[in-house]
Amino acid sequence: MELATKKIVLRYHWVFRIREGWGIFHQSLLGKIGLVLLLLFALMALCSYIPPRLDPMYDPMTGVDPKISHSTGPSMRHWLGTDFMGRDILSQLLAGARIAFMVGVSAAFMSIFLGTAIGMIAGYVGRIMDTLLMRLADMIMVMPTLLVVLILSSLFGQLNIWTIVLIIALFRWPGVSRVIRSQTLSLKQRPFIEAARVAGASHLRIIFRHIMPNVLPLSFLYMTFRVTSAIIIEAALAFLGFGDPGTVSWGMMLQWVWKTGHMFKAPYWLLPPGICISLITLSFYMLGRAMDEVLDPRLRREQEAG
Amino acid sequence: MAEGRHNPLLELRDIRKTYRTRRSLFGSGGREVVALNSVSLEIYHGEIFGLVGESGSGKTTVGRLIVRLEDPEQGSIRLEGVEVTKLRGKALRDFRRKVQMIFQDPYQSLNPQLSVFDTVSEPLTVHRIGNSSQREEQVRKALTAAGLSPPEDYVFRYPHQLSGGQRQRVAIARAMVLKPSFIVADEPTSMLDASISAQIFNILIEMREKLDATLLFITHSLAAARYLCDRIAVIYKGNLMEIGSADEIIQNPIHPYTRALLDALPRFGDCGEMKYYGTLLGREREYVEPSACPFFPRCRPADETKCSRDKPLLKEIFPSHFVACFEPDLKQAEGSGGDTCFYGT
Repeated sequence: MELATKKIVLRYHWVFRIREGWGIFHQSLLGKIGLVLLLLFALMALCSYIPPRLDPMYDPMTGVDPKISHSTGPSMRHWLGTDFMGRDILSQLLAGARIAFMVGVSAAFMSIFLGTAIGMIAGYVGRIMDTLLMRLADMIMVMPTLLVVLILSSLFGQLNIWTIVLIIALFRWPGVSRVIRSQTLSLKQRPFIEAARVAGASHLRIIFRHIMPNVLPLSFLYMTFRVTSAIIIEAALAFLGFGDPGTVSWGMMLQWVWKTGHMFKAPYWLLPPGICISLITLSFYMLGRAMDEVLDPRLRREQEAG
Repeated sequence: MAEGRHNPLLELRDIRKTYRTRRSLFGSGGREVVALNSVSLEIYHGEIFGLVGESGSGKTTVGRLIVRLEDPEQGSIRLEGVEVTKLRGKALRDFRRKVQMIFQDPYQSLNPQLSVFDTVSEPLTVHRIGNSSQREEQVRKALTAAGLSPPEDYVFRYPHQLSGGQRQRVAIARAMVLKPSFIVADEPTSMLDASISAQIFNILIEMREKLDATLLFITHSLAAARYLCDRIAVIYKGNLMEIGSADEIIQNPIHPYTRALLDALPRFGDCGEMKYYGTLLGREREYVEPSACPFFPRCRPADETKCSRDKPLLKEIFPSHFVACFEPDLKQAEGSGGDTCFYGT
């Protein structure tokens, strides 16, 4: 029972579980499509660093083609054309993928963190704490996130992208916390929690060692859905003109199309960000659905054998 | 063991526990259900004490009260003379070291996310006993004693990789690893096959010898209790009906309910004239006063006037044999039980 063997076996356990999960995931067509799309978007985000290095005019924000002063269609020099002041649309699109990932993943991570922590506390502590936290969750849940962010940004002027992420996170935790709370409630009644109590484990130990590992898979499932909503909220905000003016997001691009009156004149400019927003949210959603099947055996398709 | 009438290791005095059903928004709700009604027990050092009753009789509640998973409304529980219902903080932690529990359902009592090693070593970690190599040694010993050998084959497994019997052995190892002086075993074999149950019984017996521990064995089966226990208490609807040595309870049952339980056991072997008491009413009496003997609705030999009005208290009818009945029928049923007749589980 040396430590080395222990580590190997434990690693093997994780490998085994991931492989088992992958086997189920693999059967889901939705999941596979979603994963491939996401990998493509990740590749786009990585590639966003290339164009500005080739030539400063490809910088998505400040790079202007000196020869062009109005929007032009696709060409060898600008594969997707240029915007109204001669900035390259492809490099904007690539930078937009990076922003989308950043906003989506960080807002989702924060709201999952909050939701899981609050849900576990409400479910485990119960009584007055449960009531207070869940009524707070109800209040936040009925507030329309987009509207609140709009009001806030009109109050405080242009919002920084991280402020937007933070606000989205603060408004999107209640759904997660409700699910985590109910899961915690059912776990709390399970005899293995009572066994830990009889063994003398403290409340903190029970929460972190016995409840958290059992709710985390659920949290990560919800994370994929939260990514989707965060990306959509940020895009809507940017399109309405309340985005961070210092970043190039897809919503921002759409806003520029609309503001400069190119809506029906420049499909090469309008369509790419629109399609990208739809596809990235769709792919996160499909990934979430497939993971749902991995985590919840009741959703699994019946096996042919047996 | 039972003969040594010195101070009991564990003493329950007039324990009362009720559960309240949740009041619904509009309905009256809030009904009280009495789980235990002034239960008093004494368990002596080194014995295996059996608590027998049907489902809903409150036998599990007794176990949960003893390990402080719940608190009684009334009454006192004393371990080695120390009141346990009021323990807090450090004193409660020390108490948890001394009293452990084995749960009924091994599929529910192990955390699916923890390996066998982590599960069994948890009590050691919680109580900060020994360093990591000493803990490994303790875990290894506990697993071997619980019948999982060589322990190296099991320590890294997870509950879903174990059979029901193996899981229960892990749960037993977890209860043993702190070397407790008192162990509550709550129907540890009700979810297992008969052959595995027998092995678990033997592990419990070995455990008593090795750890010098005292056991409360909770079961619905008189046969299992007879095999394992030194003394048996029979509980019905939260009331103790009969307490006595295991042999006495099986061979010389007095209370009509105990007799009914024995009647209900399947028998095999050379039984000859079957011993049959027939104390159970085919049809329950309705409209019974709340003050009546708890078994009155189902009791055939009951006295309609006396038993319907009052609740009998436990009386020592034979030495160390207590029965809660107004008119104990001391005459035993006809038919030779015989040494070759067995009660099955």
